[in-house]
Amino acid sequence: MNLVPVTYKGGIYRHDEIMDLIEDLGGYIIQKHVLAQEVVLQALVPREDIGLIARIGKPLTGEITPSPLVGTEIAVVTMSLEIHHLPHASCDVAEYVRRMGAKTNMVGLARGFGKRIAQLNDEERDVINEHDLAVYLLGDFETCIEHKFPVLRRGIHIPIIVLGGPSTETLMRIIDPPVDGYVGNVGRFMHRTKESEELEMLDQVVTEITRVLDKKRDAIAKDPPSVSPARLMDIISSQVDDIHEVLSPTPITVQMTGLRVKLPYDRFAPLLKEIIIEEGITIGEVAEILPSRMRDYILIRIKPFSETNIMV
Amino acid sequence: MDAIEYFEVESPEDAGREYYRRIADVVLLDHNLLRVIKKLHISIDPRIPLFIAVGVTKKIPRVIKVGDIADVNVQERKVTLSIGDETYLAPLLKILWAEYGGDKVVQPDRFTVILNIEGADGRQIEEIPVIDPSEALYKDLIYALLVIQPEGFKVRRQYYGKEKFYLVASENTLPENFEDLVKEKFALMGETL
Repeated sequence: MNLVPVTYKGGIYRHDEIMDLIEDLGGYIIQKHVLAQEVVLQALVPREDIGLIARIGKPLTGEITPSPLVGTEIAVVTMSLEIHHLPHASCDVAEYVRRMGAKTNMVGLARGFGKRIAQLNDEERDVINEHDLAVYLLGDFETCIEHKFPVLRRGIHIPIIVLGGPSTETLMRIIDPPVDGYVGNVGRFMHRTKESEELEMLDQVVTEITRVLDKKRDAIAKDPPSVSPARLMDIISSQVDDIHEVLSPTPITVQMTGLRVKLPYDRFAPLLKEIIIEEGITIGEVAEILPSRMRDYILIRIKPFSETNIMV
Repeated sequence: MDAIEYFEVESPEDAGREYYRRIADVVLLDHNLLRVIKKLHISIDPRIPLFIAVGVTKKIPRVIKVGDIADVNVQERKVTLSIGDETYLAPLLKILWAEYGGDKVVQPDRFTVILNIEGADGRQIEEIPVIDPSEALYKDLIYALLVIQPEGFKVRRQYYGKEKFYLVASENTLPENFEDLVKEKFALMGETL
C-alpha cells in the first residue's frame, strides 16, 4: 500500500467520520488542528483512496490537498534570535513550512552570529542531526557566509538547505563542498513577509525543501524502514496511555525514518522497547530507542530492512 | 513628513548594500525617527568587519522648563501651578518632591499642583528644568542604529550631541584610527564632526 501525505481542511461538523474513514482505509492521522469552526487534518492516506475521501468530504465542505511535507521534521537553524533584531526572517520561514504540513523546530544558535565569532556547540549539532532536514538562514553578506558556513555545518550529516541574502548562484559558488539545496535573496530583512513577491520567495523555499526531501525519500525507498513510522506512531498512541497526558501539539512527532516520543526517556524507554507490533515482534527488535538531546524526550530510529530482515 | 536630505549606504557588496538600505529604512520608520534625521551615512565592510553609521539630526526641541508646561501663580503662603500640558507631569512632580519635600507638594486635581511654601520666587520656579527631550531622542537614535547594525557586532563606540551622532561597531577590536574614518564619513555628507 502506497501512502501519500495529504492535508484535509473542512468544517468541524461530522469531521470524525473523515477521521474514521482515513483509519479504516489504512491511513494514519499525523496531526489534527481545530481552529474555531475548521478542522485541519494532516494525514498519510493510500494513494488510490484520495478520490473517495474527497467525495465523502465534499458535502462537509472538506478539501483534500497533497502536502509533501507531512510526516517530516525540519530544523530551521537561525544564527540568532535576539529580541532587538525581531522580526526574524526565520520565523516566517518556519511558519510557512509548518503550514505546508511539516513539523518545524527553530534552532536558535547561542553564538551563531558574526563572521569570526560564529560557532556551533555539540548540543546544537546533535539536536539538528535529530531532524530530517536542516534549513540554515544566513545573513546578507557573501564574505561572511563564505567564512563562517564551514564552522556551522561541521558534524551535520542530514541534508542542508542554505538560505541567504546573496543570489542563489552566488550561494552555490561560495559554498564548498556543496550542500543539498540553495535559495538566494532570503537574508536578514527585518520586516514581515506580506507582499506577493516575498510570499513567492517562501514558496521557492518550500519547493526546494520538497525537492531535497523527495530525493531523500527515493534513497530511503531503496532500503525501507522495517516498519512505517506512521504505523509505529499509531501503535504507541494506542498502547501507551501516558502519551495522551502530554500537552505538546504533537506528542509523537513523525519523521521520515523515526519518531520523537515526548515522554521521559528513563521511565518509558524500557516500556516502549517491549511493545509488540505484530506476531511477537517488538519495537526493540526493529528500532533503536535513544535519548533525545531535546529535553528528556525519546528518539526512535527505525532500522532499515537490510539490517533486521523483518518487515511488519 | 520631510524626507531625509542625504541617505547613503556604502558597502563593497551590491546585494548587501541594497539589503541594508532597506533595513535602515524599515527600522527608522518603525522607530519613528525619519522625521528627526537630516543626514545619514552608513558604511559596512564585511571584510574587516566594520560598521559605521554617522548622521546629523534636525533642530531638536530645547530643554523643557516648568514655565513651558504650567502657569506659576505665587501667593502669600503658597504657589499654585496650573498645568497646561500634562505630558511631563510625572517628572515634574518628582522634581518638586525632591526640591520641596513630599508633604509640601499637594495635587488636588489633575491640572493643579500647590506648593505650600512661603516667600517663593515665581521666576525661579519657572526656570526649573523638567526634562531634556534630546537626551531620550539620541538614546532612541543609537538604539535604532544598534538594531540596524549586523547581528553580533558587540564591540562598539557611540557618540551623540550637538545635532551629530555616530556609531562604530565590529566583532573585533575597533581599529585605532576609527575616529578618522568617522570624520571621513562626515566629510562625505559635507559636514565636520
